[in-house]
Amino acid sequence: MIEVVDLVKHYRASDGSVVRAVDGVSLSVAPGEMVGLLGANGAGKTTTLRVLATLLKPTSGTARVGGCDVVTDPLGARRHLGYVSATTGVPDRLTAREIMRSYGRLHGLDEGPLTRRIDLVVQSLGLADFIDRPAGRLSSGQRQRVSLARALVHDPPALVLDEPTNALDVVGARDLLHLLDGLRADGRAILLSTHRLHEIEHRCDRFVIIDGGRIVAQGTPPEILGPHASLEEAFFAALAAGTAS
Amino acid sequence: MSVPDAGHADASFRNAVLAPTVAVASFQLGRLLSRQRLLLAGLGVIFPAAVMLAVRRTAAEGLDRDLAVMMIYALVPEAVCMLGLLVTMCPAVADELERGTWIHIAVRPGGRRALLMGTYLAAVLWTSVVGILAACLAVLVARVPQPLPLVGMLAALVVLSTLGRAALFALPAVILPKRALVASVAVALVVEYLAGFIPAVVNQATVSLRLRSLLVEWMGWRQKLPVEMQLLIDPQPAWVQIAAVCGLTVVLLVAAVKILNFRQFPPSVEI
Repeated sequence: MIEVVDLVKHYRASDGSVVRAVDGVSLSVAPGEMVGLLGANGAGKTTTLRVLATLLKPTSGTARVGGCDVVTDPLGARRHLGYVSATTGVPDRLTAREIMRSYGRLHGLDEGPLTRRIDLVVQSLGLADFIDRPAGRLSSGQRQRVSLARALVHDPPALVLDEPTNALDVVGARDLLHLLDGLRADGRAILLSTHRLHEIEHRCDRFVIIDGGRIVAQGTPPEILGPHASLEEAFFAALAAGTAS
Repeated sequence: MSVPDAGHADASFRNAVLAPTVAVASFQLGRLLSRQRLLLAGLGVIFPAAVMLAVRRTAAEGLDRDLAVMMIYALVPEAVCMLGLLVTMCPAVADELERGTWIHIAVRPGGRRALLMGTYLAAVLWTSVVGILAACLAVLVARVPQPLPLVGMLAALVVLSTLGRAALFALPAVILPKRALVASVAVALVVEYLAGFIPAVVNQATVSLRLRSLLVEWMGWRQKLPVEMQLLIDPQPAWVQIAAVCGLTVVLLVAAVKILNFRQFPPSVEI
C-alpha cells in the first residue's frame, strides 16, 4: 500500500550548499500493518513522509501510495492517503463537523455520502461529545482527534502520521494510539513517525530507524530489540552502529 | 475503506472544482468576518467619503462633477481596491503556512487549486463589496448631480479592478508567499503605475490602462482630453477593455495555479 524505493531528497540551503535530507531510503507498509519510523530531529522522517504525501518531490527514487506514484500520479496518491501532522492546523472558529465537511468537499464528496461518512468517523473516533463545539475550545487531544478525523474523511486505505502525539499528554497520546490500533484492524496501512519510543514499542508491526537520511535498522520488534531490554536501548544501539559504519 | 473516485465521489466539474472552491471561499470569508478585518473594511468604506467631504468643504461653489469623479476613481477602484486586495489576496499561501493548514490542504487532490481560487473568490467578493459601498458613500458625500449612473459606473470599475488585480496579486502570493505583501506592492507600483502609464505595448497588459480607458469612455471625456493625455488611454471600445481585463485575469490565475501546483515547501518554511 505504501512503498518507498531508494528515495533521495536533497535541498539547496540558503548558503548554496546541498542538504541531503533523505539519502536512499526504502520501506514498505502493507494493508493492516503499522510501521514506526523512528529517528531523532533532522533524521529525515518528516521529509520522507512529506514526499509520500506529495508535498515534496523526490530528487530520485520512487514513492507510491496505493500503487500511485507521487510524481507521475499525485492526485491518485492523494486520494489513497490520509495525512496527520504534529501541528493540527485545525481552525479555532470551526467545529469538527464543519472541518470534516470542508475537507470532504476538497475531495469532491457529494453531500449525502459525505454526511454518512462524517457520521461514521464521528462514531469510530468518539467525537460525538464535541463534534459541534468550535475547535478553539477543544483540548489538544481532542484537536488531534479532529485532525485524524479530517485525514479519514475520504476513507483512505493508507495513513501517514508525522509525530501525531507530540503535543499530547499521556492520556491523549494513549487514546490516539488506541484509535490507530482500530484503524489498523480495519486493514489500513499506517506509517507513523515519532521519537516517543515508549508509546509505540508494543504497537508497531515493524520499525524503521533512520539517521542522517539513511536507514540504520529495520525489522520486526524482536529483530530490532535483539538483546536489548527496550526499544529505546535498541534505538540508540542502532544509531551507534549506523554512525560507526 | 474506499477511494473517493472509485466510490462515493464523482469527478464532475461541480464536485471536483466548484464545490472545493466554494468551500475554501466560504471559509476565507468567515475569516474576514473578524472584528479587526471588519474595522479595516469600515475604514476602507469611510476613507474616500471623508476625503470627498474635506474637498467639498473647501470648494465654495460645490465640487465640479468631473473633478469629483476623477477623485472618487483614484480613491476607490484604485486605492481602496488595491489596499483591500493586498490584505485579502496576498496572504493566500503565507497564512496557510503560518497556521499549519497548508499541508492539510495540499494533500487533497484539488486542494492547491481550490485554495487559490477560493481565496481569489473571497478576496474579489469582499473587496468589491467594500469598494462599492465606498463609492456609494463618496458619491453621496460629494453631492454630484445624477449620482445613480455614476454609482453604476464606479461599481463596474470596482468589480473589474478587483477581478484583475486579485489575479495579479495571486502571482506574488504563490511565488514569494513569505514576502507576498512587499512583492505585491512592488508589482502594483512597477506594473500598474509605471508600466501602465508608459504609452507602449507593455501597458496593454495592465489593468490600470483598461480601467482608465473605460472611465474616459463612459464619462464621455475622450473629446475633451488633450492630445498628450490621449496617449495614456486605449482608444478601443468598452467591450474590448472588459474582455482584456477578463483575459488577463484568466491568464494570471492559470499561471498562479500552475506555479502553486509545482511549489514545494520544505518543513523549515513553516512556522
